[in-house]
Amino acid sequence: MADTMNHIERDVASLQDKPVDRLTTYPLAMGVARRCVGDGTMTYREWASDPKKFAAGFIAGQKYFDHDWAIGLMDLSVMAGDLGAHVRMDEQNTPFVDQAIVHDPEDYEKLRVPDIKKGRSHVLVEGTGMFVEALGSQVITAAFLEGPLLALTQTASAEKVFMDMVNAKSAVHAALKTMTDYDVEMVKAFSALKGKPAGFVWDYLWGNYSCLGDQQYEEFEGKYARGLNELVGKEGMANCIHNCADLPHLETQVRAWKPAIYSMAYYPLIPGSPSAKEVIGKGYADNSLIAGTIDPQLFVRGTVEKMEQTTMKLIQEVKTAMCAKGLHSRYCISSGCEVPPSVTTKLDNIKKCVDTVKQYGQIKC
Amino acid sequence: MSKEQILAGLEKAVVAGKKDEAKKFANEALSSGVNALEAIDQGMIKGMNIVGDRYAAHEYFLPQVLLAADAMYGALDVLLPHIPKDQLAKQIKAVIGVVEGDVHDIGKNIVKTMMTAGGFAVQDLGRDVSPEKFIEAAKAHDGGIVAMSTLMTPTMDGMKMVMDGLVESGLRMKCKTIIGGAPTSQEFADDIGADFHAVNAQAGVAKLKAAML
Repeated sequence: MADTMNHIERDVASLQDKPVDRLTTYPLAMGVARRCVGDGTMTYREWASDPKKFAAGFIAGQKYFDHDWAIGLMDLSVMAGDLGAHVRMDEQNTPFVDQAIVHDPEDYEKLRVPDIKKGRSHVLVEGTGMFVEALGSQVITAAFLEGPLLALTQTASAEKVFMDMVNAKSAVHAALKTMTDYDVEMVKAFSALKGKPAGFVWDYLWGNYSCLGDQQYEEFEGKYARGLNELVGKEGMANCIHNCADLPHLETQVRAWKPAIYSMAYYPLIPGSPSAKEVIGKGYADNSLIAGTIDPQLFVRGTVEKMEQTTMKLIQEVKTAMCAKGLHSRYCISSGCEVPPSVTTKLDNIKKCVDTVKQYGQIKC
Repeated sequence: MSKEQILAGLEKAVVAGKKDEAKKFANEALSSGVNALEAIDQGMIKGMNIVGDRYAAHEYFLPQVLLAADAMYGALDVLLPHIPKDQLAKQIKAVIGVVEGDVHDIGKNIVKTMMTAGGFAVQDLGRDVSPEKFIEAAKAHDGGIVAMSTLMTPTMDGMKMVMDGLVESGLRMKCKTIIGGAPTSQEFADDIGADFHAVNAQAGVAKLKAAML
Protein backbone atom coordinates (compact mmCIF):
# COMPACT_ATOMS: atom_id res chain seq x y z
CA MET A 1 0.00 0.00 0.00
CA ALA A 2 1.40 3.42 -0.95
CA ASP A 3 2.43 5.80 1.80
CA THR A 4 0.24 8.88 2.12
CA MET A 5 2.34 10.67 4.75
CA ASN A 6 5.98 11.61 4.53
CA HIS A 7 8.44 10.33 7.14
CA ILE A 8 8.39 13.40 9.35
CA GLU A 9 4.59 13.67 9.29
CA ARG A 10 4.39 10.00 10.28
CA ASP A 11 7.07 10.33 12.97
CA VAL A 12 5.46 13.38 14.57
CA ALA A 13 2.01 11.78 14.50
CA SER A 14 3.38 8.57 16.04
CA LEU A 15 5.09 10.42 18.87
CA GLN A 16 1.68 11.94 19.65
CA ASP A 17 -0.20 8.71 19.00
CA LYS A 18 -2.28 10.28 16.25
CA PRO A 19 -3.63 8.24 13.33
CA VAL A 20 -1.02 7.44 10.68
CA ASP A 21 -0.99 5.89 7.21
CA ARG A 22 1.14 3.06 8.66
CA LEU A 23 3.40 2.30 11.61
CA THR A 24 6.90 3.73 11.52
CA THR A 25 9.87 1.42 11.07
CA TYR A 26 13.58 1.58 11.75
CA PRO A 27 15.65 -1.60 11.85
CA LEU A 28 18.67 -0.33 13.77
CA ALA A 29 20.94 -0.49 10.74
CA MET A 30 23.71 1.92 11.57
CA GLY A 31 27.19 0.48 11.06
CA VAL A 32 25.97 -1.90 8.40
CA ALA A 33 24.73 1.05 6.31
CA ARG A 34 28.37 1.86 5.43
CA ARG A 35 27.99 -0.95 2.89
CA CYS A 36 25.49 1.23 1.02
CA VAL A 37 28.19 3.84 0.36
CA GLY A 38 29.93 3.79 -3.03
CA ASP A 39 31.18 0.37 -4.02
CA GLY A 40 30.28 -1.06 -0.59
CA THR A 41 33.83 -1.67 0.57
CA MET A 42 34.09 0.90 3.37
CA THR A 43 35.37 -0.86 6.48
CA TYR A 44 33.88 -0.43 9.94
CA ARG A 45 37.13 1.13 11.07
CA GLU A 46 36.91 3.77 8.33
CA TRP A 47 33.26 4.45 9.07
CA ALA A 48 33.85 4.85 12.82
CA SER A 49 36.97 6.99 12.48
CA ASP A 50 35.94 9.73 10.06
CA PRO A 51 32.95 12.07 10.56
CA LYS A 52 32.31 12.36 6.83
CA LYS A 53 32.29 8.59 6.36
CA PHE A 54 30.13 8.11 9.45
CA ALA A 55 27.59 10.57 8.02
CA ALA A 56 27.87 9.07 4.54
CA GLY A 57 26.71 5.71 5.93
CA PHE A 58 23.50 7.18 7.32
CA ILE A 59 22.83 9.19 4.18
CA ALA A 60 23.38 6.24 1.85
CA GLY A 61 21.47 3.91 4.17
CA GLN A 62 18.49 6.27 4.17
CA LYS A 63 18.50 6.35 0.38
CA TYR A 64 18.69 2.58 0.12
CA PHE A 65 16.38 1.49 2.93
CA ASP A 66 14.03 4.51 3.25
CA HIS A 67 13.80 4.40 7.06
CA ASP A 68 11.41 6.55 9.09
CA TRP A 69 14.06 7.71 11.58
CA ALA A 70 17.83 8.25 11.73
CA ILE A 71 19.66 7.64 15.01
CA GLY A 72 23.39 8.17 15.30
CA LEU A 73 24.58 5.03 17.07
CA MET A 74 28.25 4.29 16.46
CA ASP A 75 29.17 1.61 19.04
CA LEU A 76 29.50 1.26 22.80
CA SER A 77 33.26 1.75 23.08
CA VAL A 78 33.45 5.37 21.93
CA MET A 79 33.66 6.91 25.39
CA ALA A 80 35.76 4.11 26.92
CA GLY A 81 38.28 4.42 24.10
CA ASP A 82 38.62 8.15 24.54
CA LEU A 83 39.02 7.64 28.29
CA GLY A 84 42.06 5.48 27.56
CA ALA A 85 40.78 1.89 27.44
CA HIS A 86 42.16 -0.15 24.57
CA VAL A 87 39.59 -0.77 21.87
CA ARG A 88 40.01 -3.70 19.53
CA MET A 89 38.85 -2.36 16.21
CA ASP A 90 38.12 -5.15 13.79
CA GLU A 91 37.87 -4.06 10.18
CA GLN A 92 34.33 -5.21 9.58
CA ASN A 93 32.67 -5.61 12.92
CA THR A 94 31.63 -3.98 16.17
CA PRO A 95 34.73 -2.93 18.10
CA PHE A 96 35.04 -3.68 21.79
CA VAL A 97 37.23 -2.87 24.77
CA ASP A 98 39.78 -5.61 25.30
CA GLN A 99 41.90 -3.91 27.96
CA ALA A 100 40.15 -2.04 30.72
CA ILE A 101 42.00 0.68 32.57
CA VAL A 102 40.69 0.29 36.11
CA HIS A 103 42.56 -2.27 38.16
CA ASP A 104 42.41 -0.81 41.67
CA PRO A 105 39.83 1.38 43.41
CA GLU A 106 42.21 4.35 43.13
CA ASP A 107 42.07 4.08 39.35
CA TYR A 108 38.40 5.13 39.33
CA GLU A 109 39.37 8.51 40.70
CA LYS A 110 42.07 8.98 38.08
CA LEU A 111 39.54 8.98 35.23
CA ARG A 112 39.24 12.38 33.58
CA VAL A 113 36.84 13.72 30.98
CA PRO A 114 38.78 13.64 27.70
CA ASP A 115 38.96 16.41 25.15
CA ILE A 116 35.81 15.75 23.15
CA LYS A 117 37.18 17.67 20.20
CA LYS A 118 39.49 14.72 19.64
CA GLY A 119 39.11 10.96 19.26
CA ARG A 120 35.94 9.12 18.38
CA SER A 121 33.86 11.46 20.57
CA HIS A 122 34.68 14.11 17.99
CA VAL A 123 33.89 11.76 15.11
CA LEU A 124 30.54 10.92 16.69
CA VAL A 125 29.53 14.52 17.34
CA GLU A 126 30.70 15.94 14.01
CA GLY A 127 29.43 12.99 12.02
CA THR A 128 26.03 13.22 13.67
CA GLY A 129 25.86 16.92 12.80
CA MET A 130 26.62 16.10 9.17
CA PHE A 131 23.96 13.45 8.73
CA VAL A 132 21.42 15.57 10.59
CA GLU A 133 22.06 18.43 8.17
CA ALA A 134 21.59 16.05 5.26
CA LEU A 135 18.60 14.09 6.54
CA GLY A 136 16.90 16.38 9.05
CA SER A 137 14.35 17.59 6.50
CA GLN A 138 13.40 14.00 5.61
CA VAL A 139 13.24 12.12 8.93
CA ILE A 140 13.40 12.81 12.64
CA THR A 141 16.99 12.46 13.74
CA ALA A 142 18.64 11.71 17.07
CA ALA A 143 22.10 11.50 18.58
CA PHE A 144 23.08 8.35 20.51
CA LEU A 145 25.38 8.00 23.52
CA GLU A 146 26.27 5.62 26.34
CA GLY A 147 24.84 6.48 29.75
CA PRO A 148 27.27 6.91 32.65
CA LEU A 149 27.12 3.38 34.05
CA LEU A 150 27.53 1.78 30.63
CA ALA A 151 30.47 4.09 29.84
CA LEU A 152 32.08 3.11 33.13
CA THR A 153 31.58 -0.63 32.74
CA GLN A 154 33.06 -0.42 29.25
CA THR A 155 36.06 1.45 30.65
CA ALA A 156 36.64 -0.56 33.82
CA SER A 157 35.12 -3.97 32.96
CA ALA A 158 31.59 -4.76 34.04
CA GLU A 159 32.56 -7.50 36.48
CA LYS A 160 34.91 -5.22 38.35
CA VAL A 161 32.40 -2.37 38.54
CA PHE A 162 29.65 -4.65 39.83
CA MET A 163 31.85 -6.05 42.58
CA ASP A 164 33.15 -2.62 43.48
CA MET A 165 29.58 -1.39 43.87
CA VAL A 166 29.86 -3.23 47.19
CA ASN A 167 33.61 -3.20 47.86
CA ALA A 168 34.55 0.31 46.74
CA LYS A 169 31.31 2.20 46.52
CA SER A 170 32.65 5.75 46.87
CA ALA A 171 35.30 5.15 44.19
CA VAL A 172 32.63 3.89 41.79
CA HIS A 173 30.54 6.99 42.48
CA ALA A 174 33.54 9.22 41.84
CA ALA A 175 33.97 7.57 38.45
CA LEU A 176 30.25 7.82 37.68
CA LYS A 177 30.43 11.53 38.40
CA THR A 178 33.24 11.80 35.81
CA MET A 179 31.20 9.79 33.30
CA THR A 180 28.23 12.06 33.90
CA ASP A 181 30.37 15.15 33.36
CA TYR A 182 31.58 13.57 30.11
CA ASP A 183 27.99 12.90 29.08
CA VAL A 184 27.03 16.50 29.91
CA GLU A 185 29.80 17.85 27.67
CA MET A 186 28.69 15.56 24.87
CA VAL A 187 25.01 16.57 25.16
CA LYS A 188 26.00 20.22 24.96
CA ALA A 189 28.24 19.55 21.97
CA PHE A 190 25.42 17.78 20.10
CA SER A 191 23.06 20.60 21.02
CA ALA A 192 25.46 23.25 19.70
CA LEU A 193 25.73 21.63 16.27
CA LYS A 194 24.43 23.46 13.22
CA GLY A 195 22.84 20.15 12.40
CA LYS A 196 21.27 19.74 15.84
CA PRO A 197 19.47 16.43 16.24
CA ALA A 198 15.81 16.55 17.21
CA GLY A 199 16.26 13.78 19.75
CA PHE A 200 18.90 12.27 21.98
CA VAL A 201 19.03 8.55 22.75
CA TRP A 202 20.69 7.25 25.92
CA ASP A 203 21.88 3.69 26.16
CA TYR A 204 20.92 2.75 29.71
CA LEU A 205 21.72 -0.94 29.29
CA TRP A 206 22.21 -1.88 32.93
CA GLY A 207 18.63 -1.09 33.91
CA ASN A 208 17.67 -4.74 33.80
CA TYR A 209 16.72 -7.26 36.45
CA SER A 210 19.31 -9.80 35.33
CA CYS A 211 21.96 -7.41 36.58
CA LEU A 212 20.63 -4.86 39.05
CA GLY A 213 17.66 -4.54 41.36
CA ASP A 214 15.70 -1.31 41.73
CA GLN A 215 17.71 -0.01 44.66
CA GLN A 216 21.11 -0.61 43.08
CA TYR A 217 19.97 0.73 39.74
CA GLU A 218 18.74 3.91 41.37
CA GLU A 219 21.98 4.31 43.29
CA PHE A 220 24.36 3.62 40.43
CA GLU A 221 22.51 5.00 37.44
CA GLY A 222 19.12 6.49 38.27
CA LYS A 223 20.37 9.45 40.21
CA TYR A 224 22.82 10.37 37.45
CA ALA A 225 20.48 9.60 34.58
CA ARG A 226 17.66 11.81 35.81
CA GLY A 227 19.87 14.90 35.56
CA LEU A 228 21.03 13.89 32.10
CA ASN A 229 17.45 13.28 30.94
CA GLU A 230 16.52 16.77 32.13
CA LEU A 231 19.55 18.30 30.47
CA VAL A 232 18.54 16.84 27.11
CA GLY A 233 15.14 18.51 27.44
CA LYS A 234 16.68 21.81 28.47
CA GLU A 235 18.95 21.67 25.45
CA GLY A 236 15.88 21.39 23.23
CA MET A 237 16.09 17.72 22.24
CA ALA A 238 13.58 14.94 22.87
CA ASN A 239 14.90 12.51 25.48
CA CYS A 240 14.87 8.88 24.32
CA ILE A 241 16.21 5.62 25.76
CA HIS A 242 17.56 2.43 24.24
CA ASN A 243 17.91 -0.68 26.37
CA CYS A 244 18.45 -3.97 24.58
CA ALA A 245 18.95 -6.00 27.76
CA ASP A 246 16.56 -8.67 28.99
CA LEU A 247 14.12 -7.86 31.81
CA PRO A 248 14.36 -4.05 31.50
CA HIS A 249 13.39 -1.70 34.32
CA LEU A 250 10.28 -0.49 32.52
CA GLU A 251 8.71 1.18 35.54
CA THR A 252 11.75 3.40 35.98
CA GLN A 253 12.91 3.88 32.43
CA VAL A 254 9.51 4.28 30.79
CA ARG A 255 6.89 5.07 33.42
CA ALA A 256 9.00 7.37 35.59
CA TRP A 257 11.42 8.89 33.08
CA LYS A 258 8.84 9.26 30.27
CA PRO A 259 11.16 9.13 27.26
CA ALA A 260 9.74 10.22 23.90
CA ILE A 261 10.99 6.93 22.44
CA TYR A 262 11.90 3.71 24.26
CA SER A 263 13.73 1.12 22.20
CA MET A 264 13.92 -2.41 23.56
CA ALA A 265 14.58 -6.05 22.79
CA TYR A 266 12.59 -9.20 23.48
CA TYR A 267 14.09 -12.49 24.68
CA PRO A 268 11.44 -15.18 24.23
CA LEU A 269 13.49 -17.80 26.09
CA ILE A 270 13.93 -15.73 29.23
CA PRO A 271 11.03 -16.06 31.67
CA GLY A 272 9.42 -12.67 32.26
CA SER A 273 10.99 -10.96 29.24
CA PRO A 274 8.23 -8.57 28.10
CA SER A 275 6.92 -8.96 24.54
CA ALA A 276 5.60 -6.07 22.43
CA LYS A 277 2.06 -7.14 23.25
CA GLU A 278 2.73 -7.11 26.99
CA VAL A 279 4.56 -3.79 26.91
CA ILE A 280 1.67 -2.13 25.09
CA GLY A 281 -0.93 -3.94 27.21
CA LYS A 282 0.67 -2.75 30.45
CA GLY A 283 0.48 0.85 29.32
CA TYR A 284 4.12 1.58 28.55
CA ALA A 285 3.15 2.85 25.07
CA ASP A 286 0.58 5.23 26.55
CA ASN A 287 3.11 8.04 26.76
CA SER A 288 6.26 6.79 25.03
CA LEU A 289 6.72 5.48 21.52
CA ILE A 290 7.98 1.92 21.94
CA ALA A 291 10.43 0.52 19.39
CA GLY A 292 11.48 -3.08 18.91
CA THR A 293 11.67 -6.08 19.03
CA ILE A 294 12.83 -8.11 15.99
CA ASP A 295 15.75 -10.42 16.76
CA PRO A 296 18.86 -8.85 15.17
CA GLN A 297 20.34 -12.21 14.25
CA LEU A 298 17.48 -12.72 11.83
CA PHE A 299 19.06 -10.02 9.64
CA VAL A 300 22.17 -12.20 9.42
CA ARG A 301 20.80 -15.72 9.43
CA GLY A 302 17.22 -15.44 8.21
CA THR A 303 15.90 -15.70 4.68
CA VAL A 304 14.00 -12.83 3.10
CA GLU A 305 10.82 -14.90 3.47
CA LYS A 306 11.45 -15.48 7.16
CA MET A 307 12.15 -11.77 7.59
CA GLU A 308 8.83 -10.91 6.00
CA GLN A 309 6.95 -13.45 8.12
CA THR A 310 8.55 -12.23 11.34
CA THR A 311 7.87 -8.59 10.54
CA MET A 312 4.26 -9.36 9.62
CA LYS A 313 3.81 -11.31 12.85
CA LEU A 314 5.14 -8.42 14.93
CA ILE A 315 2.96 -5.92 13.05
CA GLN A 316 -0.10 -8.06 13.78
CA GLU A 317 0.85 -8.44 17.44
CA VAL A 318 1.34 -4.68 17.76
CA LYS A 319 -1.88 -3.84 15.91
CA THR A 320 -3.95 -6.15 18.10
CA ALA A 321 -2.43 -4.83 21.31
CA MET A 322 -2.73 -1.20 20.25
CA CYS A 323 -6.34 -1.54 19.18
CA ALA A 324 -7.15 -3.17 22.52
CA LYS A 325 -5.63 -0.16 24.28
CA GLY A 326 -7.22 2.42 21.97
CA LEU A 327 -3.83 3.52 20.66
CA HIS A 328 -3.17 4.62 17.09
CA SER A 329 0.50 4.63 16.26
CA ARG A 330 2.88 4.74 19.20
CA TYR A 331 5.03 1.78 18.12
CA CYS A 332 7.96 1.56 15.73
CA ILE A 333 8.72 -1.78 14.08
CA SER A 334 12.42 -2.09 14.74
CA SER A 335 15.15 -4.50 15.68
CA GLY A 336 15.66 -5.10 19.40
CA CYS A 337 19.37 -4.27 19.17
CA GLU A 338 21.58 -2.96 16.42
CA VAL A 339 21.53 -4.99 13.23
CA PRO A 340 25.04 -6.52 13.22
CA PRO A 341 27.38 -4.37 11.13
CA SER A 342 29.28 -7.39 9.81
CA VAL A 343 29.64 -8.18 6.14
CA THR A 344 27.44 -11.27 6.54
CA THR A 345 24.36 -9.21 7.43
CA LYS A 346 21.89 -9.39 4.57
CA LEU A 347 20.97 -5.92 3.33
CA ASP A 348 17.97 -7.47 1.57
CA ASN A 349 16.58 -8.48 4.95
CA ILE A 350 16.74 -4.90 6.23
CA LYS A 351 14.99 -3.70 3.09
CA LYS A 352 12.38 -6.44 3.43
CA CYS A 353 11.61 -5.42 7.00
CA VAL A 354 11.02 -1.80 5.94
CA ASP A 355 9.02 -2.80 2.86
CA THR A 356 6.86 -5.20 4.86
CA VAL A 357 5.89 -2.42 7.24
CA LYS A 358 5.06 -0.22 4.26
CA GLN A 359 2.86 -2.94 2.85
CA TYR A 360 1.19 -4.30 5.98
CA GLY A 361 1.73 -1.68 8.69
CA GLN A 362 -1.62 0.11 8.38
CA ILE A 363 -3.62 0.27 11.62
CA LYS A 364 -7.36 -0.05 11.31
CA CYS A 365 -9.05 -1.12 14.52
CA MET B 1 34.53 -24.86 66.58
CA SER B 2 32.35 -27.83 65.67
CA LYS B 3 32.20 -29.31 62.21
CA GLU B 4 28.61 -28.06 61.87
CA GLN B 5 29.65 -24.55 62.82
CA ILE B 6 32.48 -24.58 60.29
CA LEU B 7 30.26 -25.81 57.47
CA ALA B 8 27.56 -23.30 58.36
CA GLY B 9 30.18 -20.53 58.49
CA LEU B 10 31.48 -21.50 55.08
CA GLU B 11 27.97 -21.53 53.64
CA LYS B 12 27.13 -18.14 55.16
CA ALA B 13 30.37 -16.56 53.98
CA VAL B 14 29.64 -17.60 50.39
CA VAL B 15 26.02 -16.43 50.58
CA ALA B 16 27.19 -13.07 51.94
CA GLY B 17 30.03 -12.83 49.42
CA LYS B 18 32.71 -12.49 52.12
CA LYS B 19 35.89 -13.86 50.61
CA ASP B 20 38.11 -13.42 53.68
CA GLU B 21 35.49 -15.14 55.86
CA ALA B 22 35.17 -17.99 53.38
CA LYS B 23 38.95 -18.52 53.36
CA LYS B 24 39.03 -18.34 57.14
CA PHE B 25 36.40 -21.09 57.48
CA ALA B 26 38.12 -23.15 54.79
CA ASN B 27 41.35 -23.03 56.78
CA GLU B 28 39.40 -23.75 59.96
CA ALA B 29 37.93 -26.83 58.28
CA LEU B 30 41.38 -28.16 57.43
CA SER B 31 42.88 -27.46 60.84
CA SER B 32 39.86 -29.11 62.54
CA GLY B 33 40.17 -32.25 60.44
CA VAL B 34 37.04 -31.70 58.37
CA ASN B 35 37.31 -33.55 55.07
CA ALA B 36 38.02 -31.00 52.30
CA LEU B 37 35.48 -32.56 49.96
CA GLU B 38 32.81 -32.41 52.65
CA ALA B 39 33.65 -28.75 53.30
CA ILE B 40 33.20 -28.04 49.62
CA ASP B 41 29.96 -30.01 49.26
CA GLN B 42 28.28 -29.23 52.57
CA GLY B 43 29.53 -25.69 53.06
CA MET B 44 30.69 -23.84 50.03
CA ILE B 45 28.53 -25.44 47.35
CA LYS B 46 25.47 -25.40 49.56
CA GLY B 47 26.01 -21.65 49.88
CA MET B 48 26.50 -21.16 46.16
CA ASN B 49 23.29 -23.05 45.42
CA ILE B 50 21.42 -20.70 47.73
CA VAL B 51 22.93 -17.78 45.82
CA GLY B 52 21.85 -19.37 42.53
CA ASP B 53 18.29 -19.79 43.78
CA ARG B 54 18.14 -16.21 45.01
CA TYR B 55 19.49 -14.92 41.70
CA ALA B 56 16.88 -16.93 39.81
CA ALA B 57 14.19 -15.46 42.07
CA HIS B 58 15.55 -11.91 41.49
CA GLU B 59 16.34 -11.57 45.18
CA TYR B 60 20.05 -11.40 44.39
CA PHE B 61 21.54 -9.47 41.51
CA LEU B 62 24.85 -9.47 39.71
CA PRO B 63 26.97 -7.73 42.38
CA GLN B 64 25.94 -10.26 45.03
CA VAL B 65 26.42 -13.23 42.69
CA LEU B 66 29.87 -12.08 41.61
CA LEU B 67 30.97 -11.51 45.20
CA ALA B 68 29.64 -14.92 46.21
CA ALA B 69 31.55 -16.52 43.36
CA ASP B 70 34.69 -14.69 44.44
CA ALA B 71 34.22 -15.97 48.00
CA MET B 72 33.64 -19.50 46.74
CA TYR B 73 36.81 -19.50 44.66
CA GLY B 74 38.74 -18.06 47.62
CA ALA B 75 37.69 -21.03 49.75
CA LEU B 76 38.19 -23.46 46.89
CA ASP B 77 41.82 -22.33 46.52
CA VAL B 78 42.35 -23.34 50.14
CA LEU B 79 40.51 -26.65 49.99
CA LEU B 80 41.31 -28.06 46.54
CA PRO B 81 44.96 -29.00 47.26
CA HIS B 82 43.70 -31.21 50.11
CA ILE B 83 41.38 -33.34 48.03
CA PRO B 84 42.93 -36.73 47.19
CA LYS B 85 43.88 -37.07 43.54
CA ASP B 86 41.73 -40.15 43.03
CA GLN B 87 38.68 -38.15 44.18
CA LEU B 88 39.48 -35.33 41.76
CA ALA B 89 39.95 -37.79 38.93
CA LYS B 90 36.34 -38.93 39.36
CA GLN B 91 35.00 -35.47 38.56
CA ILE B 92 33.71 -34.89 35.05
CA LYS B 93 35.99 -32.47 33.25
CA ALA B 94 34.62 -29.42 31.54
CA VAL B 95 36.16 -26.61 29.53
CA ILE B 96 34.40 -23.28 29.25
CA GLY B 97 35.14 -20.08 27.39
CA VAL B 98 33.82 -17.08 25.50
CA VAL B 99 34.32 -17.68 21.80
CA GLU B 100 36.82 -15.81 19.67
CA GLY B 101 36.12 -12.14 19.04
CA ASP B 102 34.07 -11.60 22.18
CA VAL B 103 35.23 -10.48 25.60
CA HIS B 104 31.91 -10.37 27.47
CA ASP B 105 32.52 -12.91 30.19
CA ILE B 106 30.22 -12.21 33.13
CA GLY B 107 27.71 -14.81 31.98
CA LYS B 108 30.46 -17.35 31.35
CA ASN B 109 31.88 -16.71 34.81
CA ILE B 110 28.51 -17.29 36.44
CA VAL B 111 28.03 -20.53 34.51
CA LYS B 112 31.54 -21.63 35.49
CA THR B 113 30.75 -20.94 39.13
CA MET B 114 27.51 -22.88 39.04
CA MET B 115 29.15 -25.77 37.18
CA THR B 116 31.86 -25.89 39.82
CA ALA B 117 29.17 -25.83 42.47
CA GLY B 118 27.45 -28.60 40.53
CA GLY B 119 30.42 -30.91 40.93
CA PHE B 120 32.20 -30.50 37.61
CA ALA B 121 35.94 -29.86 37.34
CA VAL B 122 35.92 -26.75 35.21
CA GLN B 123 38.84 -25.43 33.20
CA ASP B 124 38.26 -21.79 32.33
CA LEU B 125 39.74 -20.92 28.95
CA GLY B 126 38.82 -17.27 29.42
CA ARG B 127 37.47 -14.97 26.73
CA ASP B 128 38.23 -14.40 23.07
CA VAL B 129 39.08 -18.12 22.83
CA SER B 130 39.98 -19.53 19.41
CA PRO B 131 38.33 -22.75 18.17
CA GLU B 132 41.76 -24.38 18.25
CA LYS B 133 42.09 -23.71 21.98
CA PHE B 134 38.69 -25.29 22.68
CA ILE B 135 39.69 -28.36 20.69
CA GLU B 136 43.11 -28.63 22.35
CA ALA B 137 41.50 -28.42 25.80
CA ALA B 138 38.87 -31.03 24.94
CA LYS B 139 41.61 -33.26 23.58
CA ALA B 140 43.59 -32.92 26.81
CA HIS B 141 40.55 -34.15 28.74
CA ASP B 142 39.72 -36.77 26.09
CA GLY B 143 36.22 -35.34 25.83
CA GLY B 144 34.10 -34.22 28.73
CA ILE B 145 32.04 -31.06 28.46
CA VAL B 146 32.69 -28.16 26.11
CA ALA B 147 30.77 -25.05 27.12
CA MET B 148 30.76 -21.95 24.94
CA SER B 149 29.33 -18.51 25.43
CA THR B 150 28.92 -15.33 23.42
CA LEU B 151 26.98 -12.12 23.84
CA MET B 152 27.35 -10.96 20.27
CA THR B 153 25.67 -12.15 17.09
CA PRO B 154 28.70 -11.90 14.78
CA THR B 155 30.80 -14.18 17.00
CA MET B 156 28.23 -16.98 17.04
CA ASP B 157 30.01 -18.48 14.04
CA GLY B 158 32.89 -19.30 16.39
CA MET B 159 30.64 -21.82 18.12
CA LYS B 160 30.02 -23.61 14.85
CA MET B 161 33.77 -23.64 14.18
CA VAL B 162 34.34 -25.36 17.53
CA MET B 163 31.63 -27.91 16.76
CA ASP B 164 33.16 -28.59 13.33
CA GLY B 165 36.59 -28.88 14.94
CA LEU B 166 35.31 -31.47 17.42
CA VAL B 167 33.93 -33.54 14.56
CA GLU B 168 37.11 -33.25 12.52
CA SER B 169 39.33 -34.19 15.46
CA GLY B 170 37.24 -37.24 16.27
CA LEU B 171 36.28 -35.89 19.67
CA ARG B 172 32.63 -35.12 19.00
CA MET B 173 31.26 -38.42 20.28
CA LYS B 174 33.32 -38.12 23.48
CA CYS B 175 31.96 -34.67 24.33
CA LYS B 176 28.77 -33.08 25.48
CA THR B 177 28.54 -29.53 24.21
CA ILE B 178 26.50 -26.67 25.57
CA ILE B 179 26.11 -23.10 24.36
CA GLY B 180 24.64 -19.97 25.88
CA GLY B 181 24.53 -16.19 25.68
CA ALA B 182 21.91 -13.64 24.73
CA PRO B 183 21.84 -14.12 20.93
CA THR B 184 21.93 -17.93 21.05
CA SER B 185 18.92 -20.21 20.97
CA GLN B 186 17.96 -23.86 20.94
CA GLU B 187 17.37 -23.48 17.21
CA PHE B 188 20.93 -22.25 16.75
CA ALA B 189 22.26 -25.07 18.95
CA ASP B 190 20.41 -27.53 16.72
CA ASP B 191 21.78 -25.84 13.60
CA ILE B 192 25.39 -26.20 14.65
CA GLY B 193 24.95 -29.61 16.24
CA ALA B 194 25.48 -28.65 19.88
CA ASP B 195 23.91 -30.96 22.45
CA PHE B 196 22.36 -28.32 24.68
CA HIS B 197 21.39 -24.68 24.88
CA ALA B 198 20.64 -22.98 28.17
CA VAL B 199 19.07 -19.63 28.98
CA ASN B 200 20.84 -19.31 32.31
CA ALA B 201 23.47 -20.95 34.50
CA GLN B 202 21.11 -23.03 36.56
CA ALA B 203 19.28 -24.43 33.56
CA GLY B 204 22.60 -25.27 31.95
CA VAL B 205 23.92 -27.10 34.97
CA ALA B 206 20.66 -28.98 35.34
CA LYS B 207 20.89 -30.18 31.72
CA LEU B 208 24.51 -31.23 32.13
CA LYS B 209 23.84 -33.03 35.38
CA ALA B 210 20.94 -34.91 33.87
CA ALA B 211 23.11 -35.98 30.96
CA MET B 212 26.39 -36.68 32.69
CA LEU B 213 26.00 -37.48 36.39
